[in-house]
Amino acid sequence: MGNKQTIFTPEQLDAYQDCTFFTRKEILRLFYRYRDLAPQLVPLSYIDKPDVKLPYELIGSMPELKDNPFRQRIAEVFSEDGDGNMTLDDFLDMFSVLSEMAPRDLKAYYAFKIYDFNNDDYICKSDLEKTVNKLTRNELTPEEVCLVCDKVIDEADQDNDGKLSVEDFQHMIIRAPDFLR
Amino acid sequence: VKTTKSCKRHKSVRQHASITQCTLQPGTEILSNSDDDHRDLKADSNDPEQIFQNIQFQKEIVANIRCRPWPMRQKLRTLRQAKEIVLKYEGRLTRTRGYQAAGAELWKKFVRLAYNFMVIFIPWEMRIKKIESHFGSGVASYFIFLRWLFGINIVLTVMTGAFVVLPELLAGAPFGSTISKTIPKEQFASAQDLDTIWSLGGYLQYSVLFYGNGRLPLAYFLVGMAVFAYSFIILLKKMAKNSRMSLASASDENYTFCWRVFCAWDYLIGNPEAAESKAAAIVNSIREAILEEQEKKKSKNLAVTICLRIIANILVLLSLAGSIYIIYFVVDRSQKLERTKKELTLWEKNEVSVVVSLITMIAPSAFELVAALEMYHPRTTLRFQLARVLVLYLGNLYSLIIALLDKVDSMNITEAEANSSASNWIDSTTFLVPRTVPKEDNLSTTVPAIRIRRNSTMTLEKSHTQNYTIPVMLVNKTTPYLHNMQSQTAQCWETYVGQEMLKLSIIDMIFTVASILLIDFFRGLFVRYLSDCWCWDLESKFPEYGEFKIAENVLHLVYNQGMIWMGAFFSPCLPAFNVLKLIGLMYLRSWAVLTCNVPHQQVFRASRSNNFYLAMLLFMLFLCMLPTIFAIARYKPSLSCGPFSSGQEKIYDIVSETIKADFPVWFNTVINYISSPVVVLPALLLLFMLIYYLQSIARSLKFTNSQLRMQIQTERTEDKKKVVQMAVGKRIPWECHALTAGGSSDSSINNPSLLFPARIQTFEGNDKRPEQDSDLTSQESSARSSTPRKNGSVLNFESPVPKGSRIQTISQSIPQPDVARPANISPATPTHLTPTPSVPSMQKRRIDQAANRYSNIVHGSASELCKTKPYPPVTFKKHVEDVHSEPLFRKGIRQVNPDVLGAGAPAFVGRKVPTTRYFIVNEHESRKKLLRSTSRLPKHFRMEESGDIVELYPRNVRRYVVRTPHRTYSPHFSEEEEEEEELRRDLINRSYRPRSLSDLRPAPRFYIGERVDSQILTGKDLAKMHYKSWDNGFELELDRPSQAHKKSHVKRVDLDQHYPEHHVKPKSKHKLEQSLTESDSISISSSDQQTSGNDQYIQVIHSKEKYLKSEAKLTRNKSKTHTDLTMAESNELVCSNV
Repeated sequence: MGNKQTIFTPEQLDAYQDCTFFTRKEILRLFYRYRDLAPQLVPLSYIDKPDVKLPYELIGSMPELKDNPFRQRIAEVFSEDGDGNMTLDDFLDMFSVLSEMAPRDLKAYYAFKIYDFNNDDYICKSDLEKTVNKLTRNELTPEEVCLVCDKVIDEADQDNDGKLSVEDFQHMIIRAPDFLR
Repeated sequence: VKTTKSCKRHKSVRQHASITQCTLQPGTEILSNSDDDHRDLKADSNDPEQIFQNIQFQKEIVANIRCRPWPMRQKLRTLRQAKEIVLKYEGRLTRTRGYQAAGAELWKKFVRLAYNFMVIFIPWEMRIKKIESHFGSGVASYFIFLRWLFGINIVLTVMTGAFVVLPELLAGAPFGSTISKTIPKEQFASAQDLDTIWSLGGYLQYSVLFYGNGRLPLAYFLVGMAVFAYSFIILLKKMAKNSRMSLASASDENYTFCWRVFCAWDYLIGNPEAAESKAAAIVNSIREAILEEQEKKKSKNLAVTICLRIIANILVLLSLAGSIYIIYFVVDRSQKLERTKKELTLWEKNEVSVVVSLITMIAPSAFELVAALEMYHPRTTLRFQLARVLVLYLGNLYSLIIALLDKVDSMNITEAEANSSASNWIDSTTFLVPRTVPKEDNLSTTVPAIRIRRNSTMTLEKSHTQNYTIPVMLVNKTTPYLHNMQSQTAQCWETYVGQEMLKLSIIDMIFTVASILLIDFFRGLFVRYLSDCWCWDLESKFPEYGEFKIAENVLHLVYNQGMIWMGAFFSPCLPAFNVLKLIGLMYLRSWAVLTCNVPHQQVFRASRSNNFYLAMLLFMLFLCMLPTIFAIARYKPSLSCGPFSSGQEKIYDIVSETIKADFPVWFNTVINYISSPVVVLPALLLLFMLIYYLQSIARSLKFTNSQLRMQIQTERTEDKKKVVQMAVGKRIPWECHALTAGGSSDSSINNPSLLFPARIQTFEGNDKRPEQDSDLTSQESSARSSTPRKNGSVLNFESPVPKGSRIQTISQSIPQPDVARPANISPATPTHLTPTPSVPSMQKRRIDQAANRYSNIVHGSASELCKTKPYPPVTFKKHVEDVHSEPLFRKGIRQVNPDVLGAGAPAFVGRKVPTTRYFIVNEHESRKKLLRSTSRLPKHFRMEESGDIVELYPRNVRRYVVRTPHRTYSPHFSEEEEEEEELRRDLINRSYRPRSLSDLRPAPRFYIGERVDSQILTGKDLAKMHYKSWDNGFELELDRPSQAHKKSHVKRVDLDQHYPEHHVKPKSKHKLEQSLTESDSISISSSDQQTSGNDQYIQVIHSKEKYLKSEAKLTRNKSKTHTDLTMAESNELVCSNV
């Protein structure tokens, strides 16, 4: 701790604390996590806001993500370029949303984006199939997957348009007893 | 100061720009109008109330920014701007406000610092996080629970330590000075033996750690009660908090599959093995769900399963009964042993606790085996398992405590006997300490009951006491002490119970450690290193690695805590010991989990908001409190030891005694009155009534809740039905209408069909929307959620009304056929909008007409909405932005005009259909040109000119175009991330929902056509953006964040339009709106939904925004002033809000 750190200006740290759910210490820790992914790429000072992006391959290999079936989607959703390459800002953003302090509907919103594979802002059947396959590591038969997808849409689709909108999704997910990430 | 300067600069630049525009464009009102606008701004920015509101608004942004789903860059930027604004304007406010603000700032800093500091002291945070990342939230929940218990125990320790142990240590008599603190001589020799220490005898027994040595009866009693009270309060508080968090559990809606799919993954898992087993578990659960779904109707072979279940339950009951019997037997045996034998072996001393611990260890596994018989659903199995284990633990504790109390009974008897025998056999009672006098009185009451048993044990005891009391009596006066102490040590039952509980706790700890080492660690080692040279695969077949059974472990913690509560009164050291135990357990368990455990197959997901464990703990607390209370109420405190040895009949008598002795008389009388039946009974009655009342309220609330839910459900389904009906039913009329393009009355009938479905959609959206947003801005949502629904039905039929207004506007527009020019001028031309009908300028009227045309639909409904829900911003915004794409419709009107002139206005919609068709393409085409064009103004002209050319574009081309934009559309959105999220979501929804509707519906052509148009636009603009964003991406971003303000600004502009002559009026209105925009994102979004009866508008808006931006870019390249113009616009808007 102390004021010795030269990575961020105090204003930067303050702003980050305002924008995330983290404490100062956690932000610094996250910065080091970020830097450890590619020490040669990431400078030790962010005071002059260097434009550094870490490729998805590095982000996806983090222990937090590497076993997650949706890691690619997560990285894509949180990265500003949509390809999973992350700046430090994106990185902090991701961890902030995934942290336990983040409110449920924020999480729900991002969860929706994660499950919306084709970015059309609806979870349609193809998205669902992808989700289920990723989740089960392709262990279900196509018929089973199809059945599950139909069931899901049947359950959660409030407006009968055959796909889940954000509202449908949030309506459903907020009621989940153990929706907590 | 700097910022104000820049603001001024922007203003001037803007003025300049508008002047230049004026020179280029016909119509001189622009100038004056912009000046008016300017004046407005100034007036606004000087109004302290406005400033204050804006500052509040900005502060709210700052406070909530972390909850917005924006990318970090946008958040940072918005934050910076908000802070700047706050900083800039705060100085203008009155001094006190400035100080207030400074104070608030300081306080905020301090809070943050304190928070940063406090976090350091949360113990084991990193450790738990690490476990969480490896094994998921379930396992971590165990450790979090452990930590929470640790906290509770620390408080309990502090309580007992501060009020009982410390005073005793500091102010009490030194060790050895009093009877109760002196080790008897016979025992002194063995006081330091390991054996004695082990059984908590010797020094420990006579130390402060146990009941026997307190000197502060009141403190002791109150602390003992406070321990329970605190535990209850903290538990209930936590439970209430949790239940508030998990409001979801109340809903009976069934989302089995959804939850299994979307909520299945534990995002905290970071360990391949855990991931593996989690995936397997998910597959299982999904398969199960499928099976359940398929076999819902089928009846299984019930007979066998029922038989098995009955057998299993019998087995469980037997084992429960067996364990209870064993414990009772063991306690009884130890009692007998103690009586008969003088020297007890180590085993004999500890067998009670060892047996109890063994049972608690073995029985759960046995239950698990039994549960396999039952073939329940895994979740049910787990529940059963937990319930059984809990019953077992409780049974153990209870049988133990009952056996102990039984022993206490017999101890009392022997004591009584000893005393009575002493008094019988030895005539003089002089050697007895004065203290024993009340005891004698007391004995008289108990003796009759005792007499029966006396015969059995009498002889032995008698001879025993006789042996040394008589000689003692004869010799000197010191020996009575000895005798007294003898009886004391044997008969201080409180100490005895405390000792037993502590012993149990210690042995439980030892067993836990042993089981962790044996079952987890050595098994892990064995499996890891011997699996290579074993004949079967150790890792996946028989022994495997130990699993971390969350539920059982949590139950064990609950049991442990129950033990503490049970014994805490008799042994003040128990909480302190438990603290140590929990620390050790924390380290050991976390180590074991990380080194040699694999996650449980059936992952029992316990989110932090789960009250299950807490409910068990509460149950345990209550049940553990009972024996203590019972013992306190039933038994007389030991006379020869402990704080209550001064002759209280019951332990709680100390309270009344103190009140009598140490409080003033009046207090005593008051207490007397209060404790008399006259007060107590009514008070009790009152309490009962209160409980009944609250419960009935709760019941009725529940009822209304379910009623409301049902209502929502039915309305929703009705809405759905209506949509479908509309889609089916309106098809034919619509076609007819399209054919009879001039039919005036038809249109007004048919028109609802146009507006209606979309609006239903929006209201549906509204229903849901507040729920989602409720947390983001929890203030407003609740009230809002109900009102829009009510309006919904009304508004749906409102659509004919707007038609009327539309008629007017059309008739206005008719005389001007050549209204082509400057509609698209720039975003910075609110001036166009002032509809002063008196001024016969062509341009203005044209715009007026166009704007009104848009407004009738939106505004018609919006004005309705405004009454109930004051969210005009977006609706107004729509008009204005619509003005932008207005040429499209204008032309449509123009085209139709010849017909309309004859037919009259009402037929508008009908005609709109065919006409707009042309213009879509037309617009599109013009935009294409626009792209090519370098300067801005020429564009507009060209657009108008080109209009006629493309009019006759074939329809299929359009249709084709419809599809292509989809692709350009989505990247476009991803590109647009800086935009306000809510708005965007709505836009997306809006833009997509109609598509599905249009599938259902006859899909009015103009509708599709328009969409095409707008989407193409966006695509185009997107392309433009791509092209330009490389060099001026930064500036681009600069003007975006102010979109919220832009909206309000635009809205204001619209007000100008409505109150063209009174410039004061818009201001006042503006204030109102300003306060509204404080919740800006949501209010905007919701009103968006409401008013977006016509989807096309939003689309247009959308494209317009893009268009604006791209335009800004284009112009920026061209000349600096132009950039400043747009920049100035956005910035100024911010100022204007103030």
